[in-house]
Amino acid sequence: MPPSHARPAVRPGPDGVPLRPPPSEALNRLLRDLGPALQRGNRLALPAPREAEATSVGQLLAGGFPRGQLSEISGPASAGCTSLALELLQHTTRSGELAAVIDPGDAFDPPSAARAGVALERVLWVRPPDTAKALRCAERLLQTEGFPLVILDLVDSKQLVPPAAWLRLARGAAAHPSALVVLSRERLSGSHAAIALGLHPGRAHWSEDPPLFERLECGAKILRQRRGPPRECGTLRFAQAPLD
Amino acid sequence: MRIACLLVPDLPLYAELRACEALRGRPLAIASGTDPGAEVVAASAEARAAGVLLYTSIPRARSRCPGLAVRVASPALEQAARGALIDLALAFSPRVTAAPRAAGAFAAAAAVHLDASGVTSLFRSEAGFAAELEARSTEQGLPGVVAVAGSKDVSLLLARTRARDPRKESSLPPGAEAAFLADLSLDWFEPGEPLASRLTRFGLQRVRDLLALPGRGLAERLGPEILALRKRARGEAPESPLPEWREPRLEEGIDLEFAVDRIEPLLFVLRGVLSRLLKRLRSRGRVVGSLDCQLGFAGGRRVERCIRVAAPTDDERVLLRLLALWLESQPPEDPVEFVALASEGVPERGEQLDLFLPRGPDPAGLDRTLAELEALCGAERVGAPNDPDGHRPDRCGLQPFDPPPASSDSRTQEGAPPRSGLGGLRALRPPLTAEVQVQRGRPHFLRCAVACGPLVAVAGPWRISGHWWNEHERFAFDYFDVQVEDTSLLRLRFDWREKRWQVDGLYD
Repeated sequence: MPPSHARPAVRPGPDGVPLRPPPSEALNRLLRDLGPALQRGNRLALPAPREAEATSVGQLLAGGFPRGQLSEISGPASAGCTSLALELLQHTTRSGELAAVIDPGDAFDPPSAARAGVALERVLWVRPPDTAKALRCAERLLQTEGFPLVILDLVDSKQLVPPAAWLRLARGAAAHPSALVVLSRERLSGSHAAIALGLHPGRAHWSEDPPLFERLECGAKILRQRRGPPRECGTLRFAQAPLD
Repeated sequence: MRIACLLVPDLPLYAELRACEALRGRPLAIASGTDPGAEVVAASAEARAAGVLLYTSIPRARSRCPGLAVRVASPALEQAARGALIDLALAFSPRVTAAPRAAGAFAAAAAVHLDASGVTSLFRSEAGFAAELEARSTEQGLPGVVAVAGSKDVSLLLARTRARDPRKESSLPPGAEAAFLADLSLDWFEPGEPLASRLTRFGLQRVRDLLALPGRGLAERLGPEILALRKRARGEAPESPLPEWREPRLEEGIDLEFAVDRIEPLLFVLRGVLSRLLKRLRSRGRVVGSLDCQLGFAGGRRVERCIRVAAPTDDERVLLRLLALWLESQPPEDPVEFVALASEGVPERGEQLDLFLPRGPDPAGLDRTLAELEALCGAERVGAPNDPDGHRPDRCGLQPFDPPPASSDSRTQEGAPPRSGLGGLRALRPPLTAEVQVQRGRPHFLRCAVACGPLVAVAGPWRISGHWWNEHERFAFDYFDVQVEDTSLLRLRFDWREKRWQVDGLYD
């Protein structure tokens, strides 16, 4: 009795085991079966990138920025320094710990930080009027136990930082288990940084219809690491958070 | 009721030594003033051993003792020393009062009375209590003598006799007052000049001579003041009961012999004043809640500033740093001649932390840090960022930093895990003015302080407006996300009210 449903013909192999159909044939058969459930790729809305898609900082640095040491993130405009700092803030504050942002340039944007998942009530935002006072604030915060992450944003700073200040800050970070992360346009801390991560702008992704800024890709390179040579380490992807 | 009297015979001397430890062990004389006729009002044991006498002129004292250090009596230091004497008494009894200032031979002495009822249960005897109080006063740099009697007046007289002759008993048992008073000279009662001369004219020198006279006609012959003196001589003078000490404010100050016009030496002076103030507060079991600092300038002008401490503390280093920050932010315009610090003090509180949650900062330490940061940057520049409710994209707020306990936060995490890898915006405050060329209603070319070039990608506009009911707060913007040729990603806006282009953010 013939089957009610037509089954694909299966050719036996030389040893009697049935052979699998070639991939193109299987794919065609799948497309035919799914029918209207399928859409063309260029019509699909791009899903928001998940953590697995983006190369995380922890993977880049084999564990993240070390506590008790000074680290530096440097890069030109739109290279992702701020986004990376927000990610650090998000991880720290969501685990119930406190973080401090020393921001002499007054560049911290609370709405975008909130969209990035930062628990704002756990962030101490200090806006010193100049770089010298920013360094003093950083030193004072490093003396306070209970801030595992202190971000010193010197991106907009135009004043020179004396080398002795970096030594003091590095020692201050070592005194308490605090990760001091310095943001800058160009490397400032020299050999006092345990890790210097250099970012450079990559590609900005825009959707076509409607035109929307969707994603920023940045290249990351470890410029200095106490336990290893400088190396290119990957690409960071930062999606644009949806507006309120 | 038993009342003790703590008497410090040479208060100006010990007030000076309390402020300047380096003078201890050296021949020191306290002068009544800076004029040529100034006299020695108090002298250290070393100076007395070298032949310096009280009420001699300063040049004469210097001639007797070439290495003599001379300081002018400082009312501020004496006031602070009197306050320290009260603190010392308060460590033993809540009922304390300061004895009125004496005149004549006892003008340099300061005394406090305190309730000594029932001290035998703690110190075995009143003599033991007196010895303990004397030891404590010596420890505090104000060595004095203590006497215990049945009234304030008698205890003060007993203390004065002990100051002259330390072999005298420190405690006068009840009923022995009359015998003690009978042997005293009438001068110890400070009768005043007219009455003293009348007593001398009548040949009355001791209490027993006065008490031997019949009471009738005494007032007519010696004046009405003799009646009060007679009552005191009998130990029957009415006295007000000892009140509880209600003055919580402590003050320490110093008059500077030379005006100070720089911050570093002023801080050196403030350190000593602060150290003494903290010592007094600790003796009361309190710490600094807020600190009032007063600076006096030439001409009598004074400036006072209240320095608020975020958390009560007795950390001298922290408080001194707050003072230094204040002085650096508002340096004194004129040379400083007087410095005083005052505080009411607050009880120190402990804080219980959680055993199973991430260890946050010590609350007191965090508050001290916040206070220092506020002093360094300004109170309006330190806090927790706030995302105010509203539609304006550049909204920004600051609230006092008071992080919630970790437990409540961890509960909220369970419901909505946060997304990672989201891009951030770098705010430009104030927004940068931009020159923009527009083609077919869309930005085409941009020139501003952070970028210049043709726009390779433009998204927008998003029209955002609000607060139309308020003339000052209303806004209307067209927002664009733009990419300049050199890969700078900016947030551009057109302000419809001002009719101008601005860049208010950088995607970074």
